[in-house]
Amino acid sequence: MSKESDYRTEVTPVWCPGCGGFALLNALTSRVLPNLGIPRHQALIVSGIGCSSRIPAYIDTYGFNSLHGRAVLIAQGAKLASPDLTVVAIGGDGDFFSIGAGHLPHAVRRNVNITCIMVNNFVYALTKGQTSPTTPFLQRGEGPFLSLQFYPPVDPVLDMVSYSVSTGASFIAQGIASDVPHLSWLIEEAIKHKGFSFVNVLTPCVTFEPPQFFKTIREKASYLKEGEPVELPDSSGEQPWLHDSSNITLALKLAQTPVLEKPHLGIIFQGRPDLL
Amino acid sequence: MVVLGSLLQRLAASQGYSGQMPRYYGPQIRGGASGVKLSLDTTRASVPADTPDITVCFNWEKYAELEQELPLGINTVLFYDKAPPGESIALPEKSFQVGFSGISKDLTGATTAKNILALGLLERILALPESLSKGATVHDDALALLERNGLALNAGKRLLLEFPFAELKLSPPRDASPRAVRHGNAAIAQGAIRAGCRAFFGYPITPASEIMQEMQEHLNQRNGVFLQAEDEIAALGLALGASLTGAKSMTATTGPGLDLMTEMMGLASGAEIPVVIVDVQRCGPATGIPSKSEQSDLNHVIYGGHGDAPRVVIAPYNMEGCYRLIIESFSISEYYQTPVILLSDQRLGQTTVATGSDFLTEDYAVARRKRPGGESREEYRRYELTEDYISPMAFAGDEGFVYQATGLSHNEKGRPSFDFATQQRMHEKRWQKLAPLRDRDELVKVFGREESRKGIVAFGSSAQFVLETVRDLGLQDEVKVCIPELIQPLPRGLIGFVDSLEKLLVIEMNYSGQLYHYLRSQIDLPSDTKSYARAGGLAFSATELSGPIRELAR
Repeated sequence: MSKESDYRTEVTPVWCPGCGGFALLNALTSRVLPNLGIPRHQALIVSGIGCSSRIPAYIDTYGFNSLHGRAVLIAQGAKLASPDLTVVAIGGDGDFFSIGAGHLPHAVRRNVNITCIMVNNFVYALTKGQTSPTTPFLQRGEGPFLSLQFYPPVDPVLDMVSYSVSTGASFIAQGIASDVPHLSWLIEEAIKHKGFSFVNVLTPCVTFEPPQFFKTIREKASYLKEGEPVELPDSSGEQPWLHDSSNITLALKLAQTPVLEKPHLGIIFQGRPDLL
Repeated sequence: MVVLGSLLQRLAASQGYSGQMPRYYGPQIRGGASGVKLSLDTTRASVPADTPDITVCFNWEKYAELEQELPLGINTVLFYDKAPPGESIALPEKSFQVGFSGISKDLTGATTAKNILALGLLERILALPESLSKGATVHDDALALLERNGLALNAGKRLLLEFPFAELKLSPPRDASPRAVRHGNAAIAQGAIRAGCRAFFGYPITPASEIMQEMQEHLNQRNGVFLQAEDEIAALGLALGASLTGAKSMTATTGPGLDLMTEMMGLASGAEIPVVIVDVQRCGPATGIPSKSEQSDLNHVIYGGHGDAPRVVIAPYNMEGCYRLIIESFSISEYYQTPVILLSDQRLGQTTVATGSDFLTEDYAVARRKRPGGESREEYRRYELTEDYISPMAFAGDEGFVYQATGLSHNEKGRPSFDFATQQRMHEKRWQKLAPLRDRDELVKVFGREESRKGIVAFGSSAQFVLETVRDLGLQDEVKVCIPELIQPLPRGLIGFVDSLEKLLVIEMNYSGQLYHYLRSQIDLPSDTKSYARAGGLAFSATELSGPIRELAR
């Protein structure tokens, strides 16, 4: 495989054709890193374990594919010891919301200037299709379940995006793997933000999800634009308000909207900057 | 009681007296039973004797909780506040009731000055110079407390009109220059700074927390990185992150925290990231007895974790060793790119020791991490197989040596690899790079006559009791003692010691005989080998150890 950008290594990704991982890889190597002009040696990408966490081997910056759920720790330690580095932690929904969930609120309150990118494909794919904390919880008879292979989830979704908003995370955004330019812009804003930033990337799993799952998300998604009316799900009785990413109460409402009803794409909340 | 002991130790130390003061406390949050045992020695920081010459007791109920650890001897001179309830305590012949609380209340309106009263009394009995407490306060913040309590202190000196304690007068110290007082935990923090540690991440846990507190202080003053993490997994993860960028990084914990760190330890071993982990052992398993010493983490530090992950284990046996060996730990960790576990214990960690400070100013070689030199190379191979198996490691941020590390099996370039020959070679690399450590003879301490064919192997704080007991029994010529400070990889010096013996005794403080089994798995032991191993909590005593040691000498 030829190198598509100065930021790509020669390694061929292990991902399935059509995987959302490619979108993030392209966003980072073809847009974010060159656009921000970050020299290769001044970036460190730390990942956890899972499909998306294979990504450091494909990006020619400093990188570390570490342990399941712990990327955010190694990223913070590196940033604290070496503040000039641009440090990005990448993992999946299992990494950030399950095994490593206990670290997230502490990263939020510490507000160390790193960027976390959660490649949220709503499923444990590397281990072949088990439910994850973000697998939508559907009532019996409410439509196709996420995985064709396993039993449906019995627990409601763990909504750590809402949680992180409520604990005052300093930058929270949501992007989608089907729109690389927009995703890239979000990640650039997240990296530029001085403080802890979290980008949730809605991502298809082409192998363990029925195609209509991501199709639904893509079709219902709406873009947030500062100062313009937000779109609300059909079920909502509320009047649309003008998007204000500095308003934590409104941000919480956006974050709490079920992803299959109205996924909001954009900067959900931008709060206090890094105090360090 | 701890305040009384600390003040007396510091006062005596300022006049040149050495000694040790282990602390005894229970599970209380604050205000429960606590006691200390203090040795004052004219020449060296000796282990306090089994039964004291002088005992001060303020509260018999609390004493009952610590009686096993602080027994009275028949010749002990005892001062107590109120009469013991019923017949519960057999008082020694020379027992004196001194109403510390009552006098304190009369003098100051509160009973809290009773420890200062007792200090005054002890100063007079030990015949510490009158001017001493005055002069010492200038140099010592803790002793400044005494200035504010001069009334009680002086009252304490006048407590007993009849004074039959001439034999308790201290001889003058051999060298009257002041001794410094610190515990092993503080020595570890101080040594870490000396070694150039720039980042500390920890989580509070007894009996290791003092290291974290001291490091917070040190690193704040030096613009280093300090962070109290959300748990021990985080603590080690943060440390690895800092280390990737070249900062000498460490964490400190005890058994339960080490359990949580174990996966991360394997990552450090496999991805070859330097980091130092201090384990101040306490009684286990599970929560065990958090405030008491045991040596039961040995198996864990040597073998803990999945997947054949080599690491280095170093165990100090005294306070000075805590300082010297944390520096050594950083040196080894950085040079060999490996996790190093400094295996301490509660006894070492929390016993304050008054001793000379020469070890602080000695030269200690500090080895550095090998970094890729010269021109930047596109083809930099992070895990290059070199002659000594050590691959130059760039700091994240170094220009021209970008690499990607991984916990996956990887090739020399750091690329994920599922090639079985590579898997074999990388295991070989990580294990073999540590082999030269086995020749570090200076990390194996041997005491006694070389020709002796009877020997003891002990490590950590237990080794102090072994040395002390051999000396007390006058068996230095018959029994030699080996204290391995380097435990893993197994040093050749230790093998040589064992090979020279006809009779071997392995002494350790854990139920299952972990050191004995470790030695047995690696060395052909003499057919006459005995293991003396028991669960921790109660410190070893000379009385207890003289049985097996006499048996060995027979």
